[in-house]
Order: sequence, then structure tokens, then C-alpha cells
Amino acid sequence: MDKLSYYLPCVWTFCACIGFSLLFNIHGAGMFICAGGGALGWLCYLLTGPLVHSDIIQSFFAALVISAWSELMARLRKCPVTSYLLVALFPLVPGGGIYYTMEYAMMGETSQFLSSLLHTLSLAGALATGVLLVSSLMRLFIIYQEKRRARQEGFYGKL
Amino acid sequence: MRRLELDYNKLLCLVGEMGYRLMESGAEIYRVEESIRRLLLAYGVKQGEVFAIPNCIIISLTSPEGQPLTQIRRMPAHGTDIYLLERYNGLCRTLCRQAPPFDQALEQMEAIRREHRVYPVAIRMLAYFLGCGMYALFYGGSAMDGVCGGVCGMVIGLCLDLTSRLGANLFFKTVAGGTVSALTAVLLTALGIGHNQDLIIIGGLMALVPGIAITNAMRDIMAGDMVAGISKGAEALLIGAAIALGTALALGLAGLFMGG
Repeated sequence: MDKLSYYLPCVWTFCACIGFSLLFNIHGAGMFICAGGGALGWLCYLLTGPLVHSDIIQSFFAALVISAWSELMARLRKCPVTSYLLVALFPLVPGGGIYYTMEYAMMGETSQFLSSLLHTLSLAGALATGVLLVSSLMRLFIIYQEKRRARQEGFYGKL
Repeated sequence: MRRLELDYNKLLCLVGEMGYRLMESGAEIYRVEESIRRLLLAYGVKQGEVFAIPNCIIISLTSPEGQPLTQIRRMPAHGTDIYLLERYNGLCRTLCRQAPPFDQALEQMEAIRREHRVYPVAIRMLAYFLGCGMYALFYGGSAMDGVCGGVCGMVIGLCLDLTSRLGANLFFKTVAGGTVSALTAVLLTALGIGHNQDLIIIGGLMALVPGIAITNAMRDIMAGDMVAGISKGAEALLIGAAIALGTALALGLAGLFMGG
């Protein structure tokens, strides 16, 4: 039972992503791909939790998974990656961090404000790095593929 | 080949329009540049250059007679519309493959705009409710917190629609959204409907957070478009600051009136 409630946020993420994909005017199956990506990412976040004990690293891994999922789906459906990445990344965006940072600033607790600010920025950084890594790899792969295709066409003449 | 009857002015207008519409629906900079470059290649222009930053597209090409032609398109503030983005992206691929006459290509572009489907306002509000409510639960709120978060989300949605109609800028829109949402959350908690005020506010704020800006900034920087990436990154920081400012304003006001 305890395990169930540990994984319950994945369900909330799924529903929330459905809501946000409506807001970005996504129709049809794309909605479920976004939501699936969000839930998958959060599952990864929760699963890596006991291993690394750092929410920044957890965010990084979750961003990797979401990004890979979106790139894969985008290649399969021949759509821009952004369409899936945007919504699926939402649960990783440090909304709570922004709020608590603001609250500490209001209460005048400077040291807590600064540490919370840095933490929020590093969460955003982890998210960005995860996305960046996967899309750089993907780009290399695409360039490699195009080069190979060009070489083959060179061999056999233009098909 | 077809080079003889090609009207380069028309071609420039066509690719300019394509780039404009792609960016308007929320495409990244490198996608806009890449699409325009491919379109130019598809129509047989060897020497075409394109440079885009988040609020401007510059396209230049040299016709075979050696005459340089340039078009600049200024981008107004725009949102993200994935439906349009996917359609225009698909159309761009088709155009690159078939290179149809210009009138036909423009007609296809217009057709996409005519067939544009948006969700009605009621569904959008429902989506705000669902999205924000679920995030309140996600951050650990109770069921009632979820409902309150959803209400805050709807308030944000209404506020964003209203301020967009008035033509407010992004910063002001975000501050206004954050303020009304936090005020609603304070009110709902004071009435005893919600329990955790902070979780409700955070749930509502998810409708405002700069997730898109962070993602797109990173993708642009990775693609080597430093100017675009930096300006989007600055936008993300600005939105974050606006959220904090709006919420702080509301909490300050609430504290003033409730003697907290």
C-alpha cells in the first residue's frame, strides 16, 4: 500500500499532462504520447530516488528519459520533437522551487533564500542538460545517417 | 529546367511566409532556419541565406542574374500552437519534396489556417482545472487541495485570456496571473476549503512556469544559435521572476488585510 502511494504521482502527472496538452492545442494521439512521456519521466525520477538521493540527479535522469521518449516518438510520427517534449517536461520544471524561493525572500531569510534559489536554478539546469544531451546525440545520429545515405547514393548512382 | 520561369520575388515571399508561420506557431529557431534553407534548395536556389532570432527572420537570396533579394519579417509576440506547428512542418516537408507552383503552395498554407482547430473556451478552462489541480495533488496535496488548485488554474486561464485580449506583454500577464491565482488560493484556504495554501499556489503556478522557454532556449543553444538561446533564457528567468513577484504581491496584500 505504501509502495502504491509512492508511485501515485505518476498518475497525477499523466492527468496533468493531458490537461496541459489541451492548452497547447495538441489533438488526438499526441495527447497520450505527451502524458505517457510525463508519467514515464516521473517514474524514472522515483525509481532513481533510492539510488542517488539527490533530486538534481534524479531530475537529470528523468529529463534524459523524457527526451529520449519524445525524440523516439517524433521520429516515428514524423513530427517536431517540441510537440511532445514541451508538455512531458512540465513535472520537472521547478514550480515549487520558484514559490519557496519567493517565500523565503518575503520572509527576509537571506541564506535560505539564496540556497533555495540556487537549488531551483540547478534543477532547471539539470533538466536542460538532460534534454541537451539526448538531442545532441540524436543530431549526431541524424548527420551520420545522412552522410551514409549520401555515400550510398554516390556508390550506386542516384536512385 | 524550371529556372527560367521562376519568379524570385514570389519565392522569397513564399519562404518568408512559411518561416513566419512556423515561428508563429512556436517552432525553434533552428527548425525555422532549416526549413527555409531546404525550401530554397528545393526550388533550386543555390545561394540563399537565412538568419533568424526569436523576433526577426531575415532571408536573402541571389537570383541567377546576380540580383540580390532580401526580406525581413518581424515576429510579434506569439504563443505555442502544436497543432499548427505539426501541420506547417508537414506541409514544409511536402513542399520540399514536390516543389509545386507558388500559388498552389500558398493556397495549401492558407488551407491550413482555414482548417485550424482550437478547443472551445470551456474545454480550455477544463484543461486548466485538470492540469493545475493534478499538479496540486502531485506536489502532495489532499483531494480538496486538488480542487482548489484547479480553481486557481481556471482563474489564471481567465486572467491570461483577458490580459492577452488587452494586448499586455508577457511579464505583465505573468505577474497578473500569479497575483490572482495566489489571492484565490488564500481566499479558498481562509474559507476552509483548501488545507495547504502553498501546494495550491504551486499547482496553480504550473500554468505559468517557463517550461517552454527553458526547453527551447536549451535546444537553440545546442543547435548553435547563441543569440536566440540567450534571449529565450533571459525570458525564462524573467518569467520566473514575474511569477515570484506576482505571488509575493498577493501574499503581501492578503497579509495586510488579514492582519497576518
